[in-house]
Amino acid sequence: MLTINLFNGLVYGALLIVMCSGLALIYGLRRVVNFAHGSLYMLGAYIGYSVAGFANFWAALVVVPLVMALFGVLLDRYGFRLLQDRDPLSVVLVTFGLLLVIEDFVQSVWGKSNLSVPAPAVLSTSIDLFGVPVPAYRIGVIVVGATVALGLTLWLRYSRVGLFVRAASTDPTTTAMQGINTDALSAGVVGLGTALAGLAGVVAAPFLSLSPSMSADVIIDSFVVVVIGGLGSLGGAFAAAMLLGMVQAIGAVYLPDAAVLMPFALMVAILIWKPSGFAGSRT
Amino acid sequence: MNLSRLSLTIFIALAIGGALSLLISSSTVLSLFTQAIIYALFASGVGVLLRQNGMVSFGHALYFGGTGYGIGILLQMQVLSAEWTILVVLLGACLVAFLIGLVVVRVPGIAFGMLTLAIGQMAFLSVSRARGATGGADGMNIEWPSTLFGVSQSVLFKPAAMFLLSWCVLIVVLALLSLLLRTRFGAVTEAVRDNEERARFIGISTLVPRAAIYALSALVTGMAGVLSALNTGFVSPESLHWSLSGMALMMVVVGGSKALWGPAAGAVVYFLFKDVLGELATHWMSIFGIVLIAVIVFFPTGVAGGIQRLMRTRTAPSAGQPRTH
Repeated sequence: MLTINLFNGLVYGALLIVMCSGLALIYGLRRVVNFAHGSLYMLGAYIGYSVAGFANFWAALVVVPLVMALFGVLLDRYGFRLLQDRDPLSVVLVTFGLLLVIEDFVQSVWGKSNLSVPAPAVLSTSIDLFGVPVPAYRIGVIVVGATVALGLTLWLRYSRVGLFVRAASTDPTTTAMQGINTDALSAGVVGLGTALAGLAGVVAAPFLSLSPSMSADVIIDSFVVVVIGGLGSLGGAFAAAMLLGMVQAIGAVYLPDAAVLMPFALMVAILIWKPSGFAGSRT
Repeated sequence: MNLSRLSLTIFIALAIGGALSLLISSSTVLSLFTQAIIYALFASGVGVLLRQNGMVSFGHALYFGGTGYGIGILLQMQVLSAEWTILVVLLGACLVAFLIGLVVVRVPGIAFGMLTLAIGQMAFLSVSRARGATGGADGMNIEWPSTLFGVSQSVLFKPAAMFLLSWCVLIVVLALLSLLLRTRFGAVTEAVRDNEERARFIGISTLVPRAAIYALSALVTGMAGVLSALNTGFVSPESLHWSLSGMALMMVVVGGSKALWGPAAGAVVYFLFKDVLGELATHWMSIFGIVLIAVIVFFPTGVAGGIQRLMRTRTAPSAGQPRTH
């Protein structure tokens, strides 16, 4: 019982890593808390559903992030870039407006009933893990989460563009003065963040059902993760995502009644202890 | 606005409310107005927090639905008379908000908004899962006694009476807020809002005023919750959901938060707009989303800002556009 729960916690943590890395990247560069991030995830999941029906799951895994990346670049170019001199609150509320539009769009196109996407045939088996059979697909989800975490970390630390991203997250003005096109950089990073939201949606589709409420469920947990991790910090978000997954898994075994409250209790406790989160120098 | 002008405005506003309640005979229109006024009060609570402290709460539905549940549960237990229940619940909400405030206002900027969102959602989840006292996801009926403050139910629950009551509460609350915010307390909270560090330098404790403003805004929103409980006699977990907090915030933005009455104007605009839309209402989320974005981008001061600018240019046409900052 505990093993399978811990495993599921790991799966959920991996999904949150994919979600929250996008959220943290966008916050780092644009100082925007993207309320629409959960809706982008949902949009990705539904587009993935259509693509998977038309072609197959693997096509969705490639097409959806590309489509969402394009959407993200446009969002940055015609949204965040024009609003960068406004106070952060207005931009947050703009993303809230965007959330409403996307939710309505999804409900109009795909309807309100639950939909499901079958896992690809290769991963529809189960594998023995410490004597407990677990679905192979979920192991795939963990692999995706680990790949995203590792890939982003290496990219930010060792590539030239990664260096620019880190510089622009610390001080956009000085970075621009050094001759780096921060607008193009932001467009790329917001595109990447949105693509990650779409990827999370496609990956989540076979093990969570698609419904109009899926965005609200995940966005709240993602917020908890990025706040606990320290806004804009990727490493903090990774740690917090895993912590949240584990806390929910353990809570589901020992405190089934209070399990849904655990993430929030965790967040309140950590913020009392350390108001700016794990990584915490940024506000 | 000086005191005599304020009292004149209040008098006129109350008179308008009285006239409206007599003139409008359609009970559907009256109940639409009543709902708009209740949400106006809700939004005023969110607005006062933003105006006095620059803090954006994404979880004020906690105090809207929370007071409703508080009243419902206390009335069910029959420990207090209904009048005392209302008072106790409002004070309780205020106290709880102050204690929560002492913790949450220390978190800077947008993280505050996300923290309030989390706390609100925690309440929503607990209530929708609890079976016993709150009726879970089905909500609960509120058993009001046959007379309240000496007025019998049959009189009080008439649409015209409910409208007049809500209107008067809104006007009185806005007037009291306007008076309260002129005192030293108001000045202190503005100082803390504009520059917390300097405020601390000149010896102002910054934590308590911020928590107090948070508690005050919760009290105002809680009153809206009480009125809603009276109006519908029912409370459900939806009244605690974060989308409701988001709606209230939207009303604040559309109305403009610089003026105290701005959020209330935003709420009225919201309800009239929603009613006019009628047929298109299935797509109201898109429409409101687009309106919200348009207002933020093109009219950052909202309805109240627009009206104020209009009045200023009319009273001083020769002096040109006065600078606001």
